[in-house]
Amino acid sequence: MRRTARGIAVLASATLALSVAACGGEEKAAEEQPAVDPASLTAELTWWDTSDPKNEGPAFQELIAKFNQTYPNVKINHQSVPFGEAQNKFKTAAQAKTGAPDILRAEVAWVPEFASLGHLYALDGSELLADESDFLETPLASNKYDGKTYGVPQVTDSLALMYNKELLSQAGISAPPKTWAELKTAAQTIKEKTDAEGVYLNPAGYFLLPFMYGEGGDLVDAANKKIVINSEQNAAGLAIAKDLIDSGAAAKPSANDAYGTMMTLFKEKKVAMIINGPWEVNNVKQAPDFGGLENLGIAPVPGGSVKAGGPVGGHNYVIWSGMPQEKVDAAVAFVKFMSSAESQAFLSEKLGLLPTRTSAYDLDAVKNNATVAAFQPVVEAGVGRPWIPEAGQFFGPLDQMATEVLIQNKDPKAALDTVAKKYKAEVVPSYEN
Amino acid sequence: MTTVTADPAPPTPPSGRSARPSRLRRSWEKHWYAWAMVLPVVIVLAVLIFYPLVRGIWISLTNLTEANQAAEICTRSITGGEVCAENPNKWEFIGLDNYVNVLSGNVGDFWQWTAITLIWTLGCVVFHYGLGLGLAVMLNRPMWGRGLYRVLLVLPWAVPAFVSAFAWKFIFNERFGLANSLLTSLGIDPVDWFANQWTSLFTAIVTNIWLGVPFMMVALLGGMQTIPGELYEAAEIDGASAWQRFRNITLPGLRPVSMTVILLGTIWTFNMFPIIFLVTEGQPAGETEILVTGAFRAAFEGIRNYSLASTYGVLILSILLVFSMFYRRALRKQGEVW
Amino acid sequence: MSQLTTPAAATPAAAVPVASARTVKRPGRSRRSPAKSLLLHGTLILASLIALGPIVWVLLSSFKPGYAVQSSDMSLVKDPTLANYSYVLFDTNFPKWLLNSVIVAAFTMLIGIFFSATTGYAVSRFNFPGRRPLMMTFLITQMFPAAILIVPIYTIMARFGLINTLPALIIAYLTIAVPFCAWMLKGYFDSIPTSLDEAAALDGCGPFAIFWRVVLPLARPAIAVTAFYTFLTAWGEVMYASAFIQTDNKFTLAYGLQQFVPQFNPQWEYLTAAAVLVTVPAGVVFMIAQRHLVSGLTAGGTKG
Repeated sequence: MRRTARGIAVLASATLALSVAACGGEEKAAEEQPAVDPASLTAELTWWDTSDPKNEGPAFQELIAKFNQTYPNVKINHQSVPFGEAQNKFKTAAQAKTGAPDILRAEVAWVPEFASLGHLYALDGSELLADESDFLETPLASNKYDGKTYGVPQVTDSLALMYNKELLSQAGISAPPKTWAELKTAAQTIKEKTDAEGVYLNPAGYFLLPFMYGEGGDLVDAANKKIVINSEQNAAGLAIAKDLIDSGAAAKPSANDAYGTMMTLFKEKKVAMIINGPWEVNNVKQAPDFGGLENLGIAPVPGGSVKAGGPVGGHNYVIWSGMPQEKVDAAVAFVKFMSSAESQAFLSEKLGLLPTRTSAYDLDAVKNNATVAAFQPVVEAGVGRPWIPEAGQFFGPLDQMATEVLIQNKDPKAALDTVAKKYKAEVVPSYEN
Repeated sequence: MTTVTADPAPPTPPSGRSARPSRLRRSWEKHWYAWAMVLPVVIVLAVLIFYPLVRGIWISLTNLTEANQAAEICTRSITGGEVCAENPNKWEFIGLDNYVNVLSGNVGDFWQWTAITLIWTLGCVVFHYGLGLGLAVMLNRPMWGRGLYRVLLVLPWAVPAFVSAFAWKFIFNERFGLANSLLTSLGIDPVDWFANQWTSLFTAIVTNIWLGVPFMMVALLGGMQTIPGELYEAAEIDGASAWQRFRNITLPGLRPVSMTVILLGTIWTFNMFPIIFLVTEGQPAGETEILVTGAFRAAFEGIRNYSLASTYGVLILSILLVFSMFYRRALRKQGEVW
Repeated sequence: MSQLTTPAAATPAAAVPVASARTVKRPGRSRRSPAKSLLLHGTLILASLIALGPIVWVLLSSFKPGYAVQSSDMSLVKDPTLANYSYVLFDTNFPKWLLNSVIVAAFTMLIGIFFSATTGYAVSRFNFPGRRPLMMTFLITQMFPAAILIVPIYTIMARFGLINTLPALIIAYLTIAVPFCAWMLKGYFDSIPTSLDEAAALDGCGPFAIFWRVVLPLARPAIAVTAFYTFLTAWGEVMYASAFIQTDNKFTLAYGLQQFVPQFNPQWEYLTAAAVLVTVPAGVVFMIAQRHLVSGLTAGGTKG
């Protein structure tokens, strides 16, 4: 039945292409004309897309339709795979050597892990990395493992403070809070003066990183092979988050479905502030009651006593090593198209996602995009994560810790010690505790 | 169904012990067709269950995970060519280390999972049986609308378990669920269902009770229909009260059916994967995980520790075997052949 | 609806007490005091509401648009729409999942019955060396947690390249279906009088001919019930389906439906619509067949 959907997408993009052609988009296509005739490439490729099927999926389908205008004989099976499951599904399939997709949209932390297991093609020497220097340094770094490059950056992102402008001004708050202390006061004011709650924290490891980074903490010290998750800094950061909830400034989060609850409440204007990333911009924009992008404020995450910053995130295109060699040309062509500056600009325009190519930021669609402009300082302040194979496994224990601290009221330090123990036993046994 | 004797197979003539060299051949001539008839199943069981079982036990004695599974790790280059390097930490035989680690609590939460599994099983089976029996007793009387009640009460069974799991998870959503909104309208504070181990387990048990009671009810109702009515008549003439009739006629009459459904119910609930997996997802912080879901997560999530998952599997099987041995002995004592 | 037949039309022997039980007068409506009557009906109505409630709630929710399904403002009906259904049916692989579920369940059922019918018969009729261990095996394998088999079966399937194929699921489900079918059919065969076999044997029929010509025709209803049970089990299985299948054109319903409610941004509006679509046909068939189901199971059980 995807076919029907694609049919519609093709139609939609056909009209789109017409209008683009009128604006001189044609020239660019001519410029890029590859040496081989694109129509001679014939292949069927499966692409696992981990983006949200409802909010982001349609834009990717439009891109695929555009790709098929140049490469009519490369059929792309676009499959939406829930982000939370993709990592495990891919490994199950790749391990078994059947059922894995040719191309996967992998979260930045997954690439070194998959590469270390031999599940990915090394892309060095291919067309994909010909203009390697055009990619932003940090997103590209996440694709490197053991001296080789295994992926191409798709988008980059980080966590930001997203807020409801209307609610903040109703409460008489003129500027978004810059520190956690300010956030607490602001949230309490909002709770008093409006019908909404101040802030909703998602009790998941990734979403607590800004609190830990704010106090100068980190997960591991990869250079010195040390586990530093149970540091005093991290405990202090978590204590701040816990205090937000205990004091009533933040809503009490649910242990199940917290993310969806957070988004629903924010879209319903029942909560004024959340910590989230650019991937939700389109979701908020489409909410019937929210008031569109005009009402959405985006600011860097509040800071702690040391600094302000969220984790650098994003996604990369990777190619499964089990894909037969004869499909390589088609796969390279597809990834090249999807990661081109023009495609990235298209996604910025449609969804507010941040490009990973320097050249994309020079294109009008990106330059004049308010969402991108708002997120750019956020990403620049982003804290890099260690790009080691084990990094993909950091978040399981961390999520459990988040539930324990934020929902079950456990002591942060004790919960972090448990995480450290688990890291040592299961994730990075060679590291020092 | 209770009228047939327990063992209808004709007794074998006592050919056994004092046999001559030709015993095997005589045995073959006598039984070849029976063996031929069971052969397909024996082969299927051997290939699909016993071979994997033996493998599973073997895996539980190694340290196999996804990362150390392959003897060598190969990297394919997009420009062609493949580089292979030996896996520096290949899997190896580690004896009983997994069992020691699991049972001593060094790795995972085996004992907590076991406790939760037992509470979960006991809670579900007791309520399944109790409610099923109660409803069956009520439905076993002639009354107006009996057929309609019966249809309505059986409905949950018609819903596939995974659909029921989703439905209840939807209902128990803390902010947007029906359960909390009903509580609020009754003037009771909404409950953070998944924030607490026990309320979270409660949601799962409620789900399982909801979908499991109809089976018990129909089974027991069927059992009641086989109790001869003369017994009730005689008891009534003797002036037995309704409660006495229930205790002295209905309950004993239901014994064979009850024993079977309780045994089956226990095993099914013990191994019930979808409810916990889909309703509570182990929340909060893995505290409502049961053994089966824990083993699944060990094997297919995180670092995919196959050996650890197999260890859990062997332990689960051992628990069930011990349980059924005791159950069987208890039945034997009461004269049931089983 | 209220008249209960014991299953198994294949239980002629059991039919006698049932019939007599039905004709006997029990303490009836006439003797029940109004208070008792109220209590009885009150309890049953309450139980029926609880049984019905979640189903109705899901049904109602499936007609709401997304923003009203998961919303702080609860209402029974809001902006009713069929959009969820059309999305599920036409914009997802749902029809394919349905087909996959049917294929997997049907093959599991057919293969399971095919393998186990003669075994059930042999175990029921002949006392051959190995019979008791075999029966014990059936019982023990019923309690085999999938947790212990799933890893070895996964590695074996991976070796044969069967991961992400429907046969992988069918094979995995056979580990449940075969012992179960054999066990249940044995129970049914027990209830067919051996005098029939003996008569046929006197006529010169061999054991296979007796099974094929005499017993099997009589056991048809029993086989139907066992088959249906096996079908249901395979239809609703979640664990293997979650682990073995990766691409969305191969999902079964049990796994496919999970796609609607992932960890982030669950889409309950689609899930509820899909749930209704799954439940209605299954439910109809089930309601027709259910009265035969349990009796078969317990018949097998009491004599296992």
